[in-house]
Amino acid sequence: MNRDDRLPRSAMALTSLVALVLAIVPLPFPLDVLRPDFLVIVVLYWSIRAPRAGGLMLAFLAGLSIDVVQGMVLGQHAFALVLIAAWTMQVRLRVRVFSVLQQSLTIFAFLVGYQFVLFWIDGATGNPVTSFGRWLAPPIGALLWPLLSGLLNRLNER
Amino acid sequence: MVAFRSTDSSGRQSGLLLRCVLYSMVAIGLMILDRHYHQLTGIRRVLSVVVYPLEVAVASPFEGWDWLHESFATRDALRADKARLEEELRMAHFRLQRFDAMENEVRKLRALRENAAGVSQKFIVGDVMNIDLDAFRARIVVDKGARDGVFVGQAVLDDGGVFGQVARVSELTCEVILVSDPTHATPVQVNRNGLRTVAVGSGDPNHLKLPYVSTAADIVKGDLLVTSGLGGIFPAGYPVGTVVDVHRDPAASLADVDVQPAAALDRSRQLLFIWVDK
Repeated sequence: MNRDDRLPRSAMALTSLVALVLAIVPLPFPLDVLRPDFLVIVVLYWSIRAPRAGGLMLAFLAGLSIDVVQGMVLGQHAFALVLIAAWTMQVRLRVRVFSVLQQSLTIFAFLVGYQFVLFWIDGATGNPVTSFGRWLAPPIGALLWPLLSGLLNRLNER
Repeated sequence: MVAFRSTDSSGRQSGLLLRCVLYSMVAIGLMILDRHYHQLTGIRRVLSVVVYPLEVAVASPFEGWDWLHESFATRDALRADKARLEEELRMAHFRLQRFDAMENEVRKLRALRENAAGVSQKFIVGDVMNIDLDAFRARIVVDKGARDGVFVGQAVLDDGGVFGQVARVSELTCEVILVSDPTHATPVQVNRNGLRTVAVGSGDPNHLKLPYVSTAADIVKGDLLVTSGLGGIFPAGYPVGTVVDVHRDPAASLADVDVQPAAALDRSRQLLFIWVDK
């Protein structure tokens, strides 16, 4: 019954890599503003599904890779992602029995928290992005959550 | 190892806070080192070499498509292109005829005035990589890095005018911050009368702003702005943009000036990295 027994490390690495590619693949103008934080959603998924397989190490490495590609300060995304992943692991047993709508709302809260930490660090290090557009990623991520988690579940069950 | 790890889950849950604090401390430490002590440029270079294959993998399908598109271009299109390019080359040669003489003249005059702002001599051309960075910052990745001699703060131009400056260098690529980024400021002067001011990005690739021009200043629609050479990043005399609108509010002390950048900030694929001899 316990799914965590076989640790899906390779699936985890693969999905994280795909999410990282989706994070930097060029999109035309209106779409690039609407791009959700794919890698964050994948990390949240694995934090809920199999926290022992990757744990905070996955969150840290994923955040660090975003930092290297596009971060203003090295460690910024890593910090935000570790905090949010820890929060997710804390409540993961509850999230797992939630309905789809409740799950989406919870994910929305996590994504907003993540975005807020980034916003705060950007401001504190003197690279503020004050446009309203950056707050579009959390609602879109939450809307996509049922789809993406279903897809990841399907992949995981193979 | 696996048996040891899968003891009970409640035992591991209790360590969550500790691990979270540990990882957070590492991340905060990284941020402080990177931000205040600039210790991580070496590490960052190594890490970005690790990410480089990923960037190439993302960019190459788009480049492949462009290549295919060009390979199957029709004969007529190629002929039209050739005719246009020949025409442009003729015009360029025509303008160049006097260039050498004029450059000499400029050097002599500069030497007379003992002006430090030099004339650009050496440059390399870089291609913009098809990678999206943050959608809310005007930054791009170019396929020239420390290996090619690119350095932080280097001026970047395109064929229209000033494009931006190098913000970060890794081994094989570099990140260029565009003049349209809200955090970027370019020292400029009005070509017509020499009025000096600062052009600040607006976040929109088709607009720059001049926030520090007083309502009484002599600036009109159509004025060409060129780099002033102050600040030491951009050599003097390169076009930055054209004034498209001056709005003077009688109640305010500063005018609202809208500038169209000279460089094609959202379209250029080839950029010039220049070295200025002092």
